[in-house]
Amino acid sequence: MKPSPASALVALLLAAPLAAQSPDAKAEVIPVTEAIPDDPEIQKVIAPLAEEIRASFGQPLVQAPQGVFRGRRGEENLLGYWVSDVMRQAAQPLVGAPVRFAITNGGGLRANLRPGQLKVGDIFELMPFENELVVIELTGAEVIQVVKEGLLRRGGEPCSGVKVKVEGTPQQATLIVTWEDGTPIDPTAVVKVATTDYLYGGGDSIPTLKKGRKPFTTGVTLRQMLLDQCAALGKAGKDLLPPAPGRYIVPVPILEAIRDKTFKL
Amino acid sequence: MDRRHFLASLGAAAVASQVPLKAAEAPAAGRITLLHTNDTHSRIEPFGPGNGAISGKGGMARRATLVKQLRSQLGPVLLLDAGDTFQGTPYFNRYKGRLDYQLMRMIGYDATTLGNHDFDNGVEMLVEAMASMEKLQHRNPPFAFLNCNFDCKGAPELARRIRPYMVREFPGVKVGITGVGVAFAGLVAPKNHEGIIWKDPFESLKPVVKRLREVEKVDLVVVLSHLGYDVKDAAYDDLRMPGRVAGIDAIIGGHSHTFLDAPVKVKQAQGETLVFQVGFGGVNLGRMDFTLARGEVRAASGAAMPVVG
Repeated sequence: MKPSPASALVALLLAAPLAAQSPDAKAEVIPVTEAIPDDPEIQKVIAPLAEEIRASFGQPLVQAPQGVFRGRRGEENLLGYWVSDVMRQAAQPLVGAPVRFAITNGGGLRANLRPGQLKVGDIFELMPFENELVVIELTGAEVIQVVKEGLLRRGGEPCSGVKVKVEGTPQQATLIVTWEDGTPIDPTAVVKVATTDYLYGGGDSIPTLKKGRKPFTTGVTLRQMLLDQCAALGKAGKDLLPPAPGRYIVPVPILEAIRDKTFKL
Repeated sequence: MDRRHFLASLGAAAVASQVPLKAAEAPAAGRITLLHTNDTHSRIEPFGPGNGAISGKGGMARRATLVKQLRSQLGPVLLLDAGDTFQGTPYFNRYKGRLDYQLMRMIGYDATTLGNHDFDNGVEMLVEAMASMEKLQHRNPPFAFLNCNFDCKGAPELARRIRPYMVREFPGVKVGITGVGVAFAGLVAPKNHEGIIWKDPFESLKPVVKRLREVEKVDLVVVLSHLGYDVKDAAYDDLRMPGRVAGIDAIIGGHSHTFLDAPVKVKQAQGETLVFQVGFGGVNLGRMDFTLARGEVRAASGAAMPVVG
């Protein structure tokens, strides 16, 4: 029998020295040059399903000429801003009242929107979870506390409706949170807040969100909400553009202290 | 000449003088290879371009080929997984994990455990995916779901599909396998783990490892862990496990998506534990080899094998 490339590969793997390492030792890299072919039985199952997936996920939605990005370390999460803007905007007609604030978790946004034609599959990659839009009531003081908890844990979770500024040094800092137009937040005012069932349920440790009153579970997944928004923009012949930065202004030394878990407010 | 033949070639009296005879005499020496994945996250197909160093890597059809080849050449092999099979590609959104589990059975997995993302669609959908795998018409038997730190009394359909451990016997090696999962708090929405109570993984492991050693009389104890490799500020992770739970030979880890090139040896009360994890998405297949003589591990080694096309 003529050896297949895979058996040649396996022979190579078998011949390669295998070693356990101490935690800081660098292991030898096993050179693998031969390709592993697909298993025909498995590939036969996958191929038609891949076709189905590609057909449905290849549907065009909207043009995003600049793309929308989560940002690297120290940069603002414009993709998160867009998602929280859409949450706020989608929540208002559902509860029939103004929604002053929206917050989501940056960790739940799993892919950037790259520049060009956005397709259904891009939104699925961005938001693979089945998380649902939830509207709750919080006081102004609780909104500020929510912002603070997200800031301390992750350097600021993406939100909509407010502006956040941290001034000073890691040792002595001041947090200033205002509404997006710069007006002060009345700590006693009761406002509607859009978030996700995941965060409202206590996910990602923003405990104050759990205090939300009069929860309204919309039944709309965040993904569906984003798909609808993109489709509406596309239909109107508009482009999807990233929101303006400037919602979180936090000095770099303070961001670093937050990452090192040495920062207190 | 292998060790068995060597021993057989010695005079029977000479062997008898060194080895206490057991009622059912098992072969004196054996070996086993553990092949493993973790956090495959519905990566049915290889990673596409634009994914940096992992572009073009992985894919379940290739993994199947690699496993098949290794099985035919090595003989005693267990194919294991450390959880988070679900979530990550449109395949999961469309097929709700049924496809992942069915393909895992076709590839010949022996066991997996549950990660936090396996609860993303709730307990009912998880059970549905498990049931679809069980019902599949295929020559490979259904694989096992192993976990010893979820109290599933409030979710009977899940409870009857999860076992605290399993035992597999190979010539000269009896292997016991169990599994542990990460705490739900902050990772799984309460409605998605309704009826399941998370318990201390190390305290849950202790009686299971003891039972595997003392009652089941296994030679090798393997833990499928979805706790994470080296988790800052966490009370439970894979590097802490050997010091807290004695008697584990191998930890197949997941959750932290840690790419290791080879297993790490961690000292414990009864020798050493190999701790391993191979990144995520099926980019690599992990391999650990154990050689045993009279129920004792004599040699242990391993490496990550890239799944490339």
